[in-house]
Amino acid sequence: MAIKLADIRFHYSDRPEHTVLNIPSWSLSSGDQVLVHGPSGGGKSTLLGLLSGLLTPNDGSLTVLGQSLNSLNDRQRDQFRAAHIGYVFQQFNLMPYLNAIDNVLLATRFSVRKNTNTIKEEIKTLFQGLNIPENEWNRPIRHLSIGQQQRIAIARALINKPQILIADEPTSSLDQSNRDAFMQLLMPMVTKNQMTLLFVSHDQSLSNYFTNIQSLNDFNHIQGQE
Amino acid sequence: MLAKLALNSLIDRKGSVMLSLMAMTVSVFVLLGVEHIRHQTKENFSSSVSGVDLIVGARTGSLNLLLYSVFRIGNPTNNIRWDTYKDISNSEKVKWAIPISLGDSHKGYRVLGTTKSYFQHFSYGKKNPLAFSDGQEFDQVFDVVLGSEVAKKLGYTLGDRVALAHGIAKTSFSVHDDRPFTVVGILKATGTPVDQTLHVSLQGIEAIHIDWQHGVKVSKGKLTQSDLEQAELQPKSITAFMLGLNSKIATFQVQRTINKYTPEPVVAILPGVALSELWGMISILENTLLLVSALIFIAACLGVSAMLLASMRERRREIQLLRIIGAPPYILFLLIQLEALLITLLSFFLGAGLLAGSLAVLRDYLVSNYGLHIEINLLSDNSLYLVAALLAASTIVATIPSFSGYRKARTISY
Ligand SMILES: Nc1ncnc2c1ncn2[C@@H]1O[C@H](COP(=O)(O)OP(=O)(O)O)[C@@H](O)[C@H]1O
Ligand SMILES: [Mg+2]
Repeated sequence: MAIKLADIRFHYSDRPEHTVLNIPSWSLSSGDQVLVHGPSGGGKSTLLGLLSGLLTPNDGSLTVLGQSLNSLNDRQRDQFRAAHIGYVFQQFNLMPYLNAIDNVLLATRFSVRKNTNTIKEEIKTLFQGLNIPENEWNRPIRHLSIGQQQRIAIARALINKPQILIADEPTSSLDQSNRDAFMQLLMPMVTKNQMTLLFVSHDQSLSNYFTNIQSLNDFNHIQGQE
Repeated sequence: MLAKLALNSLIDRKGSVMLSLMAMTVSVFVLLGVEHIRHQTKENFSSSVSGVDLIVGARTGSLNLLLYSVFRIGNPTNNIRWDTYKDISNSEKVKWAIPISLGDSHKGYRVLGTTKSYFQHFSYGKKNPLAFSDGQEFDQVFDVVLGSEVAKKLGYTLGDRVALAHGIAKTSFSVHDDRPFTVVGILKATGTPVDQTLHVSLQGIEAIHIDWQHGVKVSKGKLTQSDLEQAELQPKSITAFMLGLNSKIATFQVQRTINKYTPEPVVAILPGVALSELWGMISILENTLLLVSALIFIAACLGVSAMLLASMRERRREIQLLRIIGAPPYILFLLIQLEALLITLLSFFLGAGLLAGSLAVLRDYLVSNYGLHIEINLLSDNSLYLVAALLAASTIVATIPSFSGYRKARTISY
């Protein structure tokens, strides 16, 4: 079991009356590739925040890769995230003033592996696998196109060899052709590395890349709220 | 990596960073400048005379006597009679005596009339005697020995002829050009007012005043050598004199005796005591300056902190990203501190460089106008403490934005 939620309740501390998540039971098996869709403001990002250990539930138990996140302290959750979870967002996946290599290198700094030389080799291999042209490796990110940036974001998310990859609407800021290019790069990478993929989006058009498609509202039981 | 992140992030925000950096640089410049000049003037003052037990002059304030006899600043109110000098310096307790006679100048530099005992007994710094870089002591009436600065600035070498002026204004109307002096010696640099002085014998001083009465030239024609020989060149009065005693223990006793000298009202001062009195007065001013410049520095630190704090809003995404890749919140604290540290260090080097540059430019001006010898080398025992203090102050002030960064990192969600 890659992810297992039981009786999860969550509200943001500044709005205690507004329950964002109420999930009696939900799970993902290792190696699953799931698309969870739902409307904007439905709580998709919040769910991902809980799974990555940035947020803690008000109630219920949260198990990721067999590890109960409830029993970890803040520091341990940070380390767990660095070691096991890759993350791609819609935008701002990278430090705009660092170059591609340094951005990916930065992501390795907070995980346990520290051998810079082998890491640099791995980064180059990753970049080549993602078809990122070599002349863009050392340019500050802000000079690269959004499509190129999202490829580097994949490299950044994958460098620590996470077992779980979380994607929070990574294609929303891309046009149709870039979106397809992105998906065609991402999906084989996930399959090859046998990762569990949790991909959230309000965009239904991505459905043909997934076999397992779920709606957040099917397992998140929120009633009578705006 | 964190340093690289901090540096690149600062460069990325160069607009606002530059302004705070400039404010910091200016404040470092002021602070270092005040501290350096403070240090240097103290050294200057305390090294200007040593080995002299008593300075005797016409009755006046002890600071006044010190200022004109040692620093050539201001004017003596009265002269003392030659007899008085003879009388006191012949006392058995006195080992040596240096008479000095002031009141003339050459191109803005003071002329000092004295005897050969000046070159034997006057010392400066840590009892360093005067030494010649060229030539020797004066021997003839019209011989002059130059301080190193005078020789260097005016380009004089041995054998050059120098006209001395009556009075001390830089452009004196009454130049004693009819009887030029010959340069016979040039002293080594001492870093004291000696460097800005022209030394002639007391007879030389008398000679340039022979046909001057009350500051006005009376005879039109050139004086012949025989006129001079006929003239009585024995001085009738001098400005002050310095004494070395056989026994230091007797200093206070001799001082008391001199102060009670009846034929003429004179006063004897201990240079060490007068120097520390002078230093005490100056240090009030300097401490005030130091305090003000420290406050300016704190203000600049606050400016940097305000800049960093304001940047926190636009850096929400950056913080979020760092958290996602597993950075604990304290990393944000360190990052902001590091940025503040980089700004402080950079402005320290810029400020120090600016100061060294300014000193190099102003050096000559300070020497010729204020007799201040300021070293360009900013490194002293103090400078390390100063750097440490600056870094500590900026770190403490930067705690405010750093803590804000930490809080943001803790509460950021996804
Ligand atoms: N940091 C936050 N503090 C308070 N409320 C928030 C915060 N982030 C999101 N919310 C609220 O939680 C709800 C779910 O938001 P979100 O998880 O971002 O939805 P989605 O990602 O599906 O668009 C929304 O009503 C949103 O207003
Ligand atoms: Mg969202």
